[in-house]
Amino acid sequence: MGASHRWGRFVSNLLVVRDLTKSFPGQVALDNFDIEIGAGRTHALVGQNGSGKSTFIKILAGFHQPDPGSVAELAGNTLHLGDGDEAEAAGVRFVHQDLGLVDTLNAIENISMGAGYTTGLFGRINWKADRQRAADGLEALGFGDVNIDVPVGALAPSEKTAIALTRALFDWEDKAHLLVLDEPTASLPGADVERLFSAIRLLKERGVAILYVSHHLDEVFEIADDVSVLRDGKRVTTSPTADLDHNRLIELMIGHKLERIEHRSVAKVGETAGLSVEAIRGGTIGNLDLTVQPGEIVGVAGITGSGREMVAPFITGQIPSESGNVIVCGTPIPNYDPHAAIQAGLAFVPADRASQGIIPLESVSNNLTLADIGRNWRGGRLRHSEERAETGVWIDRLQIKTAGTEIPIGALSGGNQQKVLFGRTLRLTPRVLVLDEPTSGIDVKAKEQILTLIDEAAGMGAAVLVVSTDTDELVQVAHRIVIMVGGTVAAELSGAEMTTEHVERAQLQSMKASTS
Amino acid sequence: MTMTTDAADATGSPGDSPDEEAQPTTSWVHRIGLDRFSGLYLLAAFFIFFGLTESNFLIWNGSIEFVLTEKVIVVMLALAFLVPLTTGTFDLSIGATMALSLVIVNKMALETDLPDGVGALVGMLACLAIGAINGFIVVKLRVNSFIATLGMSQVIAALIRRIHDGGNITNAFGERYINFGKSSLFSFKWPWSDTIIELPYYFFFGLFVATMIWYVLEHTPVGRKMFATGGNPEAARLSGVKTDRLSWGSLIASAGIAGFAGLIYSWKFATYTSSVGPPLLFTAVGAVFFGASQLKGRPNVWGTIIAVYVLAFGIKGIGLRYPTEIDWMQPMFEGLVLIIAVAVASRQAVVKVNRRKPTSSDDETSRAVEHEVQPSPLSTLSNEHPPPETHN
Repeated sequence: MGASHRWGRFVSNLLVVRDLTKSFPGQVALDNFDIEIGAGRTHALVGQNGSGKSTFIKILAGFHQPDPGSVAELAGNTLHLGDGDEAEAAGVRFVHQDLGLVDTLNAIENISMGAGYTTGLFGRINWKADRQRAADGLEALGFGDVNIDVPVGALAPSEKTAIALTRALFDWEDKAHLLVLDEPTASLPGADVERLFSAIRLLKERGVAILYVSHHLDEVFEIADDVSVLRDGKRVTTSPTADLDHNRLIELMIGHKLERIEHRSVAKVGETAGLSVEAIRGGTIGNLDLTVQPGEIVGVAGITGSGREMVAPFITGQIPSESGNVIVCGTPIPNYDPHAAIQAGLAFVPADRASQGIIPLESVSNNLTLADIGRNWRGGRLRHSEERAETGVWIDRLQIKTAGTEIPIGALSGGNQQKVLFGRTLRLTPRVLVLDEPTSGIDVKAKEQILTLIDEAAGMGAAVLVVSTDTDELVQVAHRIVIMVGGTVAAELSGAEMTTEHVERAQLQSMKASTS
Repeated sequence: MTMTTDAADATGSPGDSPDEEAQPTTSWVHRIGLDRFSGLYLLAAFFIFFGLTESNFLIWNGSIEFVLTEKVIVVMLALAFLVPLTTGTFDLSIGATMALSLVIVNKMALETDLPDGVGALVGMLACLAIGAINGFIVVKLRVNSFIATLGMSQVIAALIRRIHDGGNITNAFGERYINFGKSSLFSFKWPWSDTIIELPYYFFFGLFVATMIWYVLEHTPVGRKMFATGGNPEAARLSGVKTDRLSWGSLIASAGIAGFAGLIYSWKFATYTSSVGPPLLFTAVGAVFFGASQLKGRPNVWGTIIAVYVLAFGIKGIGLRYPTEIDWMQPMFEGLVLIIAVAVASRQAVVKVNRRKPTSSDDETSRAVEHEVQPSPLSTLSNEHPPPETHN
């Protein structure tokens, strides 16, 4: 393969894996997979859900045993894949998305849990040595200002990540290291991501090789030197990140080009606005005015802290606003009352699927019909068979992958859970549809389907508001994008001006203007 | 956490690999229904064993009629606990609430010239008021329901002592009142013996209440919304469910049902003693959780009723067989049956969730998100009442 030839120019590879196959009954998760990670390089591993990247990490960590025939070397020594203890001893370390910190303990205790407590006479913990180790480790990552005496639950997300990094790398002075970072930014707000990236760059300078797994391609381009793309268990390519661009990378991941969706929806200007928001105030929002016409898709962009994150919660009544009006097709709706909003024709998909969207143990059918159960209530009885039939129709229409209408929704993947939540709202044939981070945490294919659904809803005459941190997605789907800065709408883009670059520049430029 | 797929994709435990799908798809335990129908199997075993070994067990007047009618009281109390539990709300004051209606109906019958039925009505109204106050404390003051109703339990106990000084009340009721609950709805003679089968009115009142609760929970939108509230209060609220109203209403309903348990007690025993009420709480709560392992994987009416009678007939049989040991064997038996039944059902539920993963080659769909699905039948327990809204 051409890619492996290209790799010849690196002097030393820290990790080399050849011919790694892992089959599960009925499927091959990894198919003759090869990878080479250069010493001191940051290597991104990308691919859709199910492409095999998690299987690879689990084999490295020793959760899974590979099929016979694979070969691996770490720093020139043979590494037995599937032996977690050996990998750990050899310096392969993992920081998982959930970090694995104990929130009620402080940084010193959390770090010592991984590194082992330093003990003195009679097994007494040498707190002074442990404190020093924690402080030095964090200092080395540029997090010297972290308060190591308070429970880590009280710290910022990026500080917690730094503590997890320090714990994983407590003995980094002694040996070569491969650090596996698994979706490290999933729970980090924007500014914290930058802090994490500076820590990663510091680690790189110290010669730590990093395997970076993420769905966020922007981050891949920002932080990674090289990128490997997995598709259906095979490595499609490995290349220096500089040789690729965003679109090419997506193409490699999904195997075809990502199309900007063809709008069938058209904004019907001049009629009564579908959604008007007048002078909403509260939280990070200073003043918000917004209008969405029937048939129109309006995107809301903004960095975290700009007020973007509170737009949908205020409009839908998820949290109470201090003042202002929300008007749905001419009907003002009371503050902090999702029930009234739904009655007025406003349907809503919240940002946090797990805590605000699904009822995990209830069936797909019960979840889908939740917002209007009464529809199948006739003659004093809920018609369970009609509910199942209706759910079946939605499953087909939204291409939801599920083993049936009666299985608990918690057993579906995130993308399919999200489609069920779309079904819940679209079933109401809403006149206003508010979507908060509609594609967060779901893979590229499901994302395309959801964007198409959004356009279809607008095509049926709904006024659609899409709030998202994913600028590409907004550019793909919206007729018009408003940009939140400092708690208010600072700019608006539409037509040819509406490009990813313009939107992102507007978010940042105005921020400079507002802070200066 | 919004990244549920990713979490499973990247950090899922080794248990969510597709390996499990290769295992036999149905265990024999599941096939014969030993998980969902363990109570019925146990009940059958008791009838066979004690029926053969204890001459008094299978006799209508010996034990069956007694257990069937006496345990209607426990069934009512258990259902009083079940109703708010579906919305994720605990009501631990039900035992005391039952005692409140009982003491009021006795006291009024004893000390006033009003018809006994008026006392029953006043008792019920007092209980409903208690439920409304519980709801206010939980919904408006945002006190955790566990704590609120635990506290209320003591408040009611104090009220009861204020109403009555603690001695027993007997023979307070007139004949009409007792007959209203206690006379038989029907009676027929068993063809090959002299036994006359009779069941009192209050048994059927209880059956009616249970049927109504079952109907509301399983066959109306209200019931569906109650379970949704218990499953994820914030998601339910954002879907337009008036979760506060349901929690509040369910606490009023539970107090009403508990009060009715007190009335049934008054018809059955026609007495008041200070030891009635709170001591029944364990049996009632235990039956709800044992019952949650029956029939379906969540708290439900018929499962609860099965659980009450399994425990009652088991204890009756043990009592006949070991009359001197029953004192310590009863709590031992109740505790063990609860733990074992729930353990069996939980284990089965775990297997079931794993097995139900579709076998599509695209493993995106086949990842059971195990951190999210807690397949225990008791997982409604993990959902406390929604915390006060915090925002800044």
